[in-house]
Amino acid sequence: MKKMNKILAALAFGAIFLGSCDKEDQMGTVDFVEYEPKGNIKYVITATPIGTTGIADYLLTADNLSGGMISTRGNGIEQDGSYRYYMTHKGRFFSLLYGQGNPGDVTTYRMQPNGELVKTKYFQTETVQAFTKINDELLLIKIPRSGQPNAMFFRIDALQSRMIDQKPVNIVDLAANGERAHFTWATQVGNKVFAPYMSIKGCCGDAFGTAYPDSSWVAVFSYPALELEKVIRDNRTSFIGNYFNNGLAVVENGDVYGFSPASAKLNSQLTTTRPSAMVRILKGTTEFDKSYFFNVEEKSGGHHISTQTYLGNNKFLLTMYGTPKSTSGYLRLALVDVVSQQFTWLKGAPEEINSVSAAYNNNTGTEDGKIGYVGVNTTSGSQVYKIDIQSGVASPGLKVDGGTITAITKMEY
Amino acid sequence: MTKILLTGFLSIITLFALAQSDGGASISGRLTDEAGNGIPGASIRLQQGKALAITNVDGAYLVKKIAPGKHVLVVSAVGYKNEQSAIEVTAGQQLVLHFNMKAAVSEIGEVAVLGRSAAKEVNRQAFNVTAVDAKKLYNSTLDLSHALDRVSGVRVRETGGLGSRMNFSLNGFTGKQVKFFLDGVPMDNFGSSFQLNNIPINLAERIEVYKGVVPIWLGADALGGAINIVTGNSRKTYVDASYSYGSFNTHRSAINAGYTANSGFTVQVSAFQNYSDNNYRVRVDVADLKTKEYFPRQWVRRFHDTYHNETVIANVGVVGKKYADKLLVGLTLGQNYAEMQTGARMTTVFGQWHRRGTTVMPTLKYQVKDLFVKGLNLSVNGNYNLGYEQNIDTSSRRYNWFGDYSYNMGQGGELTRTMYKFRNHNGLGTANLSYQLSPKHSFMVNNVFSTFKRSGSDELYPNDEKYDQPKKVSKNILGLGYKFEYNEKWNTSVFVKNYSQVNSYAKSYNPSGGWGDVAYTQMRIRYSNQGYGLATTYFIKPTLQLKASYEKSYRMPETEELFGDVVLLEGNIDLRPESSHNYNFGVSYQTKINQDHRLSFDGSFLYRDAKDYIRPTLNQNQSMQTYGNLASVTNMGLDGEIRYSYKQFLTAGVNATYQNLRNNTRIEQGQKEESSLYRDRIPNMPFLFGNADASLFFRNVLKKGNMLTIGYNFLYVHEYYLSWPSQGTDRKKMMIPRQFNQDVNIVYTLANGKYNIALECKNLVDNRQYDNFSLQKPGRAFNAKVRYFFSK
Repeated sequence: MKKMNKILAALAFGAIFLGSCDKEDQMGTVDFVEYEPKGNIKYVITATPIGTTGIADYLLTADNLSGGMISTRGNGIEQDGSYRYYMTHKGRFFSLLYGQGNPGDVTTYRMQPNGELVKTKYFQTETVQAFTKINDELLLIKIPRSGQPNAMFFRIDALQSRMIDQKPVNIVDLAANGERAHFTWATQVGNKVFAPYMSIKGCCGDAFGTAYPDSSWVAVFSYPALELEKVIRDNRTSFIGNYFNNGLAVVENGDVYGFSPASAKLNSQLTTTRPSAMVRILKGTTEFDKSYFFNVEEKSGGHHISTQTYLGNNKFLLTMYGTPKSTSGYLRLALVDVVSQQFTWLKGAPEEINSVSAAYNNNTGTEDGKIGYVGVNTTSGSQVYKIDIQSGVASPGLKVDGGTITAITKMEY
Repeated sequence: MTKILLTGFLSIITLFALAQSDGGASISGRLTDEAGNGIPGASIRLQQGKALAITNVDGAYLVKKIAPGKHVLVVSAVGYKNEQSAIEVTAGQQLVLHFNMKAAVSEIGEVAVLGRSAAKEVNRQAFNVTAVDAKKLYNSTLDLSHALDRVSGVRVRETGGLGSRMNFSLNGFTGKQVKFFLDGVPMDNFGSSFQLNNIPINLAERIEVYKGVVPIWLGADALGGAINIVTGNSRKTYVDASYSYGSFNTHRSAINAGYTANSGFTVQVSAFQNYSDNNYRVRVDVADLKTKEYFPRQWVRRFHDTYHNETVIANVGVVGKKYADKLLVGLTLGQNYAEMQTGARMTTVFGQWHRRGTTVMPTLKYQVKDLFVKGLNLSVNGNYNLGYEQNIDTSSRRYNWFGDYSYNMGQGGELTRTMYKFRNHNGLGTANLSYQLSPKHSFMVNNVFSTFKRSGSDELYPNDEKYDQPKKVSKNILGLGYKFEYNEKWNTSVFVKNYSQVNSYAKSYNPSGGWGDVAYTQMRIRYSNQGYGLATTYFIKPTLQLKASYEKSYRMPETEELFGDVVLLEGNIDLRPESSHNYNFGVSYQTKINQDHRLSFDGSFLYRDAKDYIRPTLNQNQSMQTYGNLASVTNMGLDGEIRYSYKQFLTAGVNATYQNLRNNTRIEQGQKEESSLYRDRIPNMPFLFGNADASLFFRNVLKKGNMLTIGYNFLYVHEYYLSWPSQGTDRKKMMIPRQFNQDVNIVYTLANGKYNIALECKNLVDNRQYDNFSLQKPGRAFNAKVRYFFSK
């Protein structure tokens, strides 16, 4: 019995010892003290290592994008979840989780006076398919591709990182053709929100297929009431923007330009008969400018547009599908002037481009509109390219070792 | 053609049989202990000569080829007094002789370590196998998955409490890469109501864990191992009934009963039930419904996590007949209900989403020994599952951890609005034919054929039904094996397997774009692959065994991987089977220091080289998931176990597993440069873990024949990264923290095991447990269990 007591005592001691070392989970946020930025610039580059399991994004920071190398190896702030999307607004860097069931998490980062990127807040939203910045807010849109007929619009206070309001919009009623209006993106135009959409069946083994491949639509909403005011329509090209892809940009004089990739499909086959083109909505109007049509497909020799980034002075950086009459395969980079309708392939750009950094959140262009940056992912690596807008020449800048560049964005501190 | 083959085969067998008739006599019978239970692993030999037999699981034996004349038969079993019997046999005589063995008190200490139960016999095979003796756990409230969690090389990862989703990993292989069997019959089609995480331990007699190399009599396309659950096949009349109640309003009961008449007529019934509210406390950040800001670090109770299942298995038939050693017709009926509390992260809270499933499965089991000729054994199994699975998500509420909710407009779902209900119509037939030509040579043929036809519908979307055509798979796995037993010291098995699978599916499309217009493209994919393997073992001494085995294995793609679903998953018909080279080396040794201290050591080294892992990835426009043959992985692993016993008073053991899983994909799809993750450790996979246990036995407590046992179990899992270890700033990476878990139990056994009372405390010091990132498992929990056992 004595022996047993000894053993029991040892066990009890062991149990208590082992029990006392659980660490408390930390939210890991920093109490951020507001300060006046001193005009320093830091770039946040988000990169995803290429692999098939346990993949996370990493937030990397760099002082400039014109040269050098940066790596995700042992470096970068890990993000939770395989798919994340980013938005920079009001000196805040928002990291939005996509997927893993609803709702989604948002992590807000800010730049400390010493140039360190720190987590300042967590809050909850939903997994959304479109988002944009409006005044001091973010507008997030959750768009069901089947079942539920309502898309939800969420207004987020970007300064406080919390939700202000939410509102449903019936997208079946909006499409009014038996299909569903799937917003491709949303853009602030004056005091309104322009949200182009694609018509999709949302069922039947072909959710993104459509019977209406030859039309473009832009829904116009008031803000902040989010009342539907109008749908702008056209039949000269196909839908504006694309799934998770911003189709509209507002230039300095207030005119709005939009592109269509002409990628409407049925049963995974391209069915649109219209060319990939850019169209225009003049400032203060809610109609397509019938006098303007920039047939990019024709000018490029049959290539479709994939994404657009506005660089200033009516110049856009376009990524084009590299194979004519196709909306898959490698990409190529081009510069266009939307006013003069000039199309030029970018010189010095790499071959075999798999993808480029998110066009919807690229604020890296210089103030004078002379230089722009784009993250380019090719079969042989990832690198930021510096674009001399005047000469149409791209030159290699910061190399990102080991990961696909998903976004590049500029922050002041 | 088949007929000719069969005739040919039978003639060959007949020839073998003729060659074997040498006019010798045979003796058979059964060894029982004082309580009437069969004694497995005992030896029966003639004092003169070499003839020898070992009793099987039931205690039965057969000694063949005995020369006519007088002999002395010596019966010895560890823990029992030797028995001798003088006999005289004539040519061709078949003598039946039963023995009732008396316990040898002075030697009983050996039982703990060296007495070879059936489970230990399994461990002595050439395969890298670990057998868990389930009987020792009958007084615990474990289910099969938790019993397996204590085996080296095995990690069972759960998302929550009772009935929660679990992920089983064996030497780094997970999910469908490891196959499960019940009495040698694949469990793939049993449905969610009859799975590892709800089957009580009392249903099993032992659990065999085959690591890396799977013997051919378990026919399956397992990439890296198999688990075989062996249920009791005792011929006696028995009742084993238990009920337990514990924390979180958990009720579990199980009844196993059987009756066998002298005529051989037998009825067996197993029924079990699990219920739990799973309302354990968790530490979470709670979102405000309006602003969506978090209230950090709140203790809340889970409020939507009830799980229950009820299952009945009934078999009726005959045993011990000339035409059938066993012929059973059975029916398995089961149902389960599971509420879903969280998504992949604790931040995602659900309050209404739930799943249901049923199993309705008629079964047939047929076994016959010495069919036509001695040594030719046949077993045939068949089953068909008519049950369904359903996912019900129709609430437009949005919950937070306080259980409060807001409404979204319209008809929503918390995740995806659905009431999708499907049936897999799984049918399965297995046949195993073995023939022992001589003590040295035996042959085996195994064939497993399965069919699958999934059809589903969703009452919320009746229009979609015509787009959702049945998906059909038929799979056949044929294995041929040969075992050479050179002598008691050395034996070797070699085998070849042919995997073939045909998948067919009608893919719907809309030819015109007009509403409701449907056309179909027929799709058909056929695979055929050959695998092979070898297992050999050598006993340097009776107590020192070496093992080596190898298999080239395959896993065929599943229909969902090939054809996708209708909503979120895009099919990829170009998928190839996953394949792997699996190597194992093992050593086991038993020793003792005087008669009181006994030790056993087991160690194994393994290497896996797996290719073409089927993994999910995003499709080209990133709008859907699709599967691809994307990854190659190597694993070099070590595991070991040491056990110790002191007299009859104490047993203790410790095991540890280390696995070095490395990414072996040098160049990723669509890339030309070496991947930055090449040779990095596979993330989100435990790589160092172990168990320790100790039990103290106090005999004749309060009353003679009553025993008190105090048991302790400790689990350790080293922390591991959620994502690739080489990437990102170290202190900012997501971790699955180190886990300690301690369980203690006290069992009081009355009347030699007839009545049992057990008290258990799981997670003794309330450590926080995570198997998956952020998903907390239950804290400290108490259980009480009463069990009645009767057998005749």
